[in-house]
Amino acid sequence: MDSSNDDALDIIVTNVVATFRTRCHLNLRTIALEGTNVIYKPEVGKVLMKLRKPKITASIWSSGKVICTGATSEDEAKLGSRRLARCLQKLGFKVRFSAFKVVNVLAVCSMPFAVHLIDFTKNNRPIASYEPELHPAATYRIKNIKATIQVFSTGSITVTGPNVQNVATAVEQVYPLLFECRKPLCK
Amino acid sequence: MSAAGLSCPACGSSSIVRDDLYSQTQLVCVDCGSVVAEGALVDDPVGGSDVSYSRTTAVTKKPCVNLIKGLQRVKAICRILRVHAEIEDLSQTYYKQAYQHESFIKVSLQKKEVLAGCSVLVSCRLLNWPITMGTISCLLDADPMAVGAIYQEMVKILNIEAPIVSVTDVMEAHSQEYKISLLHVPEELAEDSKALTKRAVALVELAADTWIVTGRRPIPIMMAAIYLAWQSLKPSKHRLKFSLDKFCQIAKVNKHKPALKRITEMKEVLCKLGKEIPWVREAVTPDNVVRQVEDILNHRYALLRRALRTHEDEHQADCEDSLTEEAAELGERTPTASSVEQCELNTEVAERQGDGDDSRCTVPALHSETRDSQDPAPNWGKRVLFAPPCVIHAKRRRTEQPELKDVTGDEEISDSEIDSYIRTPREARDFALTKKILEKS
Repeated sequence: MDSSNDDALDIIVTNVVATFRTRCHLNLRTIALEGTNVIYKPEVGKVLMKLRKPKITASIWSSGKVICTGATSEDEAKLGSRRLARCLQKLGFKVRFSAFKVVNVLAVCSMPFAVHLIDFTKNNRPIASYEPELHPAATYRIKNIKATIQVFSTGSITVTGPNVQNVATAVEQVYPLLFECRKPLCK
Repeated sequence: MSAAGLSCPACGSSSIVRDDLYSQTQLVCVDCGSVVAEGALVDDPVGGSDVSYSRTTAVTKKPCVNLIKGLQRVKAICRILRVHAEIEDLSQTYYKQAYQHESFIKVSLQKKEVLAGCSVLVSCRLLNWPITMGTISCLLDADPMAVGAIYQEMVKILNIEAPIVSVTDVMEAHSQEYKISLLHVPEELAEDSKALTKRAVALVELAADTWIVTGRRPIPIMMAAIYLAWQSLKPSKHRLKFSLDKFCQIAKVNKHKPALKRITEMKEVLCKLGKEIPWVREAVTPDNVVRQVEDILNHRYALLRRALRTHEDEHQADCEDSLTEEAAELGERTPTASSVEQCELNTEVAERQGDGDDSRCTVPALHSETRDSQDPAPNWGKRVLFAPPCVIHAKRRRTEQPELKDVTGDEEISDSEIDSYIRTPREARDFALTKKILEKS
């Protein structure tokens, strides 16, 4: 690990998506009636419940599957999911908190230099792809850790991956590639 | 049973013929006359024993009508764009392959038409014929995002690695669209397309070197370059008064709003370089920089080097001032020692790159961080002469509220917390009543 990179770069996790199961059928109308901070969407068949602390939005299906989004760390996601499960328990359902899994983590990071996207794409084909007419960022997909990195010309990058460790590894992997494309190659 | 490969069990000869005797086929050895094998009493029909209805009544599979129409559409698009025969053939091959893939065989006809355009696009890219996605979406009269999505899916399925088109290559094709020659407009406003393209290409290269092109859509950049090139080729008062709107009107092209921003950005860069011209006495502002564009473009590399050096020198002076201030304030050895180390590191890095315009400025960054704790991330964009415009004018981020540090995920959840999320029975009844009333009305 390059220590000089680490203390310069701040990887900020902005969103963690986690799922869990309640192992019982849930009556969405009851939840909509007796819960506060709840939005019922009968056309889709789910209920959106928002917690205040931690700031989390949960989509609850009648099958008992729940998806929690909006947490800023894996532990926060777990705490929020457990809180939600307790809430459903109190509403009268026989909830058992099980199969908790963090599905997706989104993080942003800012490089202290601009990145020349065309050079970056040329050096890293076919892992990197860049279509300026469609999206201002170049996409870099790392298959083995299943991470996707979007690189913007301002040096900001967004990383999505299955967990926080993978996201950190992805940033470490991509940093040297970005560093070598700091300045336009032709001068 | 075929006669080849059989040998007579009696004499071992391999010359065995088929003999029809009394409507019964027999395999007979020529040499010794013994019967090797006998067919069944029923004559086996040619081509196998079972006669299947579906096979005998099947119509021969005709090629898909839509595929043929699609191939013709591909040909038509190629003819409109006047590309080589190679590109035409390649795009037809790709279209056929993609059409028959499972992700495209069942899509709507509209998507299949877009697919035709995408196959032309990818063939042009592979064979170095510069066209933009915008051109294809214009031809197909389709949403550029839809074209983009289908293009990316097609490239993924067919595993094609197409090179990216650079803006300078597309510049020539794009400038043909502008009807600004003597045939279309009065002499005052007319411009030879070759000269116009050459200057516009130089402007785009300059923009690429100064971070205006990376990450942006190419067409507004090209429009801005052509507009500035046109103005600067004959910088008369009449031309300088022409706004982008009017220019697009006389050139008969659709205006792109982002082009205005690109014009401003390019003018800023030109001003920064114009300041370095030794023989210009007056101050160079965005209003009068257009007259200097010819000189700036002719000597742009020298001017770039000068501008970077001037900026570096200015910054060195600032750094040294702030360093001496710091040294006087703190009077400690250690920070200066570490800054010396950093300086050495940075000069090493600078030597390797050969153009360290921002490397020496990381030293004051350490000091400024300790000084202003309110400004957590020193904007490196302000320190460098050329940087992507959204770094120079960075949006101010709302300071994050430090919420819930040291969360473990397994904490105790108190009942009162949960109760705040549940309605009391009375509240629930009221809610249900209100809903009923609202539904009825």
